[in-house]
Amino acid sequence: MKFSYNWLREMVDGLDTSASELERLMTIKTAECEGVEEVGAALADASEAIVVAMETMGASHNRKATVETPRYGQKTVVCGAPNCRVGMRTVYLPVGKKIIEGIESDGMLASAAELGIGRDHSGIVELHEPFKLIADHVIEVDNKSLTHRPDLWGHYGMAREVAAITGNKLVDPVRAELPSSDAPIKVTVEDFALCPRYSALVFENVTIQPSPLWLQYRLEAIGLNPISNIVDVTNFVMAELAQPMHAFDADKLHGGEIIVRTARNGEKFAALNGESYELDSSNLVIADKAGAVALAGVIGGAVSAISDSTTRIVLESACFNASSVRKTSSKIKLRTDASMRFEKSQDPANTIRGLKRALQLLQEVSPGIRVAGGVVDAYRPQPAPAPIALNLDWLDRKIGKAVPAVEVRKILESLEFRVEETGPREFRVHVPSWRATKDVTIKDDLAEEVGRMIGYGTITPTAPLAPARVPPANEERAFHHRVRETAASQGFSEIYNYSFISEDRARAFGFDPAELVQVANPIAADQNLLRPTLLAGVWKSIVDNTRNFDSFRLFEIGREIHKDREIPHFTAAIFAKDDGMAGLLELKRLADCLLRGIRVEPAAAQSYEHPQRAGDVYFGDTRIGRLFEFHPRMVESGRAAVLDLDLPLLQKSQPPVARYQALRRFPTSAFDITVVGEARATIGAVQSAIPRSSGILSIDFLREFELPDGRRSLSFRITAGASDRTLSSEEVGAIRASAIEALTRSGYESRS
Amino acid sequence: MQEIIEKLHQDALAQLAEAATLEAVEAVRVDALGRKGKLAEISKQFGRLAPEERARLGKLLNTAKQELESNIDSRIAALESAALDKRLESEWIDLTTPAPGIRPGSLHPVTQVQKELEELFRSMGFAVLDGPEVESEYYNFDALNIPGDHPARDMQDTFWLKDGRLLRTHTSPVQVRGLETLKPPLKMIAPGRVFRNEEVDASHEHTFYQLEGMMVDRDVSVAHLIYFMKTFLSAIFKRDVTVRLRPGFFPFVEPGFELDIQCLICGGKGCPVCKQSGWVELCPCGLVHPAVLRYGGADPEEWSGFAFGLGLTRLAMMRYGIDDIRLFTGGDLRFLKQF
Repeated sequence: MKFSYNWLREMVDGLDTSASELERLMTIKTAECEGVEEVGAALADASEAIVVAMETMGASHNRKATVETPRYGQKTVVCGAPNCRVGMRTVYLPVGKKIIEGIESDGMLASAAELGIGRDHSGIVELHEPFKLIADHVIEVDNKSLTHRPDLWGHYGMAREVAAITGNKLVDPVRAELPSSDAPIKVTVEDFALCPRYSALVFENVTIQPSPLWLQYRLEAIGLNPISNIVDVTNFVMAELAQPMHAFDADKLHGGEIIVRTARNGEKFAALNGESYELDSSNLVIADKAGAVALAGVIGGAVSAISDSTTRIVLESACFNASSVRKTSSKIKLRTDASMRFEKSQDPANTIRGLKRALQLLQEVSPGIRVAGGVVDAYRPQPAPAPIALNLDWLDRKIGKAVPAVEVRKILESLEFRVEETGPREFRVHVPSWRATKDVTIKDDLAEEVGRMIGYGTITPTAPLAPARVPPANEERAFHHRVRETAASQGFSEIYNYSFISEDRARAFGFDPAELVQVANPIAADQNLLRPTLLAGVWKSIVDNTRNFDSFRLFEIGREIHKDREIPHFTAAIFAKDDGMAGLLELKRLADCLLRGIRVEPAAAQSYEHPQRAGDVYFGDTRIGRLFEFHPRMVESGRAAVLDLDLPLLQKSQPPVARYQALRRFPTSAFDITVVGEARATIGAVQSAIPRSSGILSIDFLREFELPDGRRSLSFRITAGASDRTLSSEEVGAIRASAIEALTRSGYESRS
Repeated sequence: MQEIIEKLHQDALAQLAEAATLEAVEAVRVDALGRKGKLAEISKQFGRLAPEERARLGKLLNTAKQELESNIDSRIAALESAALDKRLESEWIDLTTPAPGIRPGSLHPVTQVQKELEELFRSMGFAVLDGPEVESEYYNFDALNIPGDHPARDMQDTFWLKDGRLLRTHTSPVQVRGLETLKPPLKMIAPGRVFRNEEVDASHEHTFYQLEGMMVDRDVSVAHLIYFMKTFLSAIFKRDVTVRLRPGFFPFVEPGFELDIQCLICGGKGCPVCKQSGWVELCPCGLVHPAVLRYGGADPEEWSGFAFGLGLTRLAMMRYGIDDIRLFTGGDLRFLKQF
């Protein structure tokens, strides 16, 4: 929302604060301003001018004009404007001398665009009134910070704030009275909940013409497009009083009745923006006998729009339900200056003020205009908003500062709250109608009014007197941080990936898109699913980084999102241009560092995994993750090994606090054995084939060897011992024999 | 005979002094002190001497032997030491050689900022809570005093899910979740990932990180809020920061504020970073709205509190001077390895 400084000054008597200082004060006390811009700077040097003579310049479209200016005397200028003629009153700008087509031109005659007061650059400005425009400043306020303030969507509301801040007097621009004779049209509101008030005036003998320059300038300065006198007045009132208005061509309405009703399902509506909309019963429309003529609070219709031939108008000044307008506006994806205001919950009392102000202005911009009959005003009387009890001790405790009662009263009254003293340090506060629709309903809201006006900077920071407590621990988060530190210390760099994946990617990782959480309004069509695995993102990161690195390690901690729950996962990867074995074993070592005692059991590969390099990671009987190499088809420039762990399971599997065991007092004995198995006999299978009950303390893998026939020879060192004695050589021999026997039983051939 | 002993002794000492190897030292020892050495030969002649003379010369001989042995030992030690020195001299290692093996990895810049803040807030008695990324409309909006038709819903472009839930647009849902689980009085923070349906460019992301904070106790005031914000912002930026509150609208706080800090670059004089205003907008905050307290099961007549939301991604950008927000979720190790 843009505010014209000159406009505000008209309503704040004696305001002498500069625009930039005002911007600062408004930011600190009312709403966030985003900057001040000067508009119409050229006006400072401009002078009214009368064209006294004109000469053609050969075949050129330019003409030589002599002008008389009160400020700079007589000047000769070269002017290309088609509308320039002798006797015309226009505006001269002293921009310096230059030669144009051989003629010296001293200054220029200006178009509205060149003066910064309008968009018209088809010709020079024609003055019909004394030239009194001056440069202005526009203060832009962040719309988000006005979400709760229906009153600040008009200059008068902001002028009230400014007056309260500076202590100046607020001047109400609304002065006209409305005629009270019978209304020439009838208004029927079917549901006052959707349209709390519908007021209208009918005008006749209307002349459609451009607005006077001052009015165009006002609208232009705050970013509204001047169109014609009638439309400009509706926009002016909206920008001043926050009351959106709409003018219908009265001769294009059917029947003498306006009906405010919900749309019929499938009802078609042609809007004045050239679009056609199909409506349903959630949309509120303004209708005549023939059908919808406006989409309530959003946009007018094409058929009944003001045109050059319009002579009678119905001027609507209504209040529509915020939620209904918002729904309609977001459903048809059309936000207008009107809908933005209505969805903030406008004040029903404001409709009549809007008509009064419009009446004043129309009489100025459309000479000869007449009001036909009296105002039509359909509304259901609203209960007055409940007053708010305000205890001043509570207020002091809330703000954290003692604010004298007299100051509290002064602040509230400057914002037009009515304050009654009901007891010692007890106020009863009546909320003005324009703040009561939604914004101010409880005493906390009043604390804000007082706080911002005394200035939050006047409050002394104070430490709360609260008992010290040890906060409850977040074991899960602490665990995740430990996992991160471990991974980083072993060379892994942490990455973050998006939570979105595509359907193709989901399928590639073995998921049925129908089983996943789906985004209704994705940022892009290929980011419409929530990730059920971190693998897809990690895979992409691997592929992306292969462009810059020959080898790397990375990891991510993030949440898998499933329909019924979110599961934090740890996914680490090693990429290298080698045979891939080292990466897999390094990841296995990382897993062992995170949880001592994990083991990997080979398992059938998924389609994205190397068919011979995939396994489940176990701790005890719990499967806590997966270790695999990406299928070389997926990572073509090298080998990418991946470890994917379920963090809650990993955390749950952490060994309990260790119990001390007495140090071994008797020496142990060790012996080596070698067995031969099939080509893919595993070390793990051999180790688990040897029973642990017979005094065996550890079975350590030593080396392997591939036999000429392709079978695998594996050597182990077995350490045996007892806690109460040194084993005799006979006992060690028996242990060895039983180990070999067990291995033979399991199908291995002993070689020792 | 005394002269002979003394001569033998002197000769042996002289040979020892010339012995440059352990072998030469051994030869001197054998020649002088061996079983068939020269001093042993002398002692064989003692039998012919008078007892007093024998005792005197015996003593002399022993002294000579002891002195010689001691000299031999120190000569051996010196030679061994020299030999060791010589060997070690050849064992020079270039300690500027790069260490082999894998280099340490890195933690994501947001992780680092987040962890630091978690530790900071824990030290001030705040519990660290987590909330779901897939959130219900109730916790994300309704319970935060943002009903269905409230225009404030437009302030945050929401990713809606087909099942009616949504991706949380802020960490604020953890306010009500925290009230429910911890019960007042409480102090909590909730860092985490949030989502907004926005076009991505150098300064906008649809996925970023926030840290929600809340304190609920008796008679918590604006003055307390300012105190806490100033205290922990000074800790975050590791210097005394000046803060300023101004009105800001957020339906779940009342009064609501935007908190600015005085520009750390120019100290408030005005510079491009603060757009010449001297202030940098840092975080929204406010006193917890009574409706939110009620949604969380706390009686607003009994309890009051403050809440704030810090942009973790934004803090990381400020700390490391990162000018493109897309780098955080880009997975590019050229960027991530810098931290």
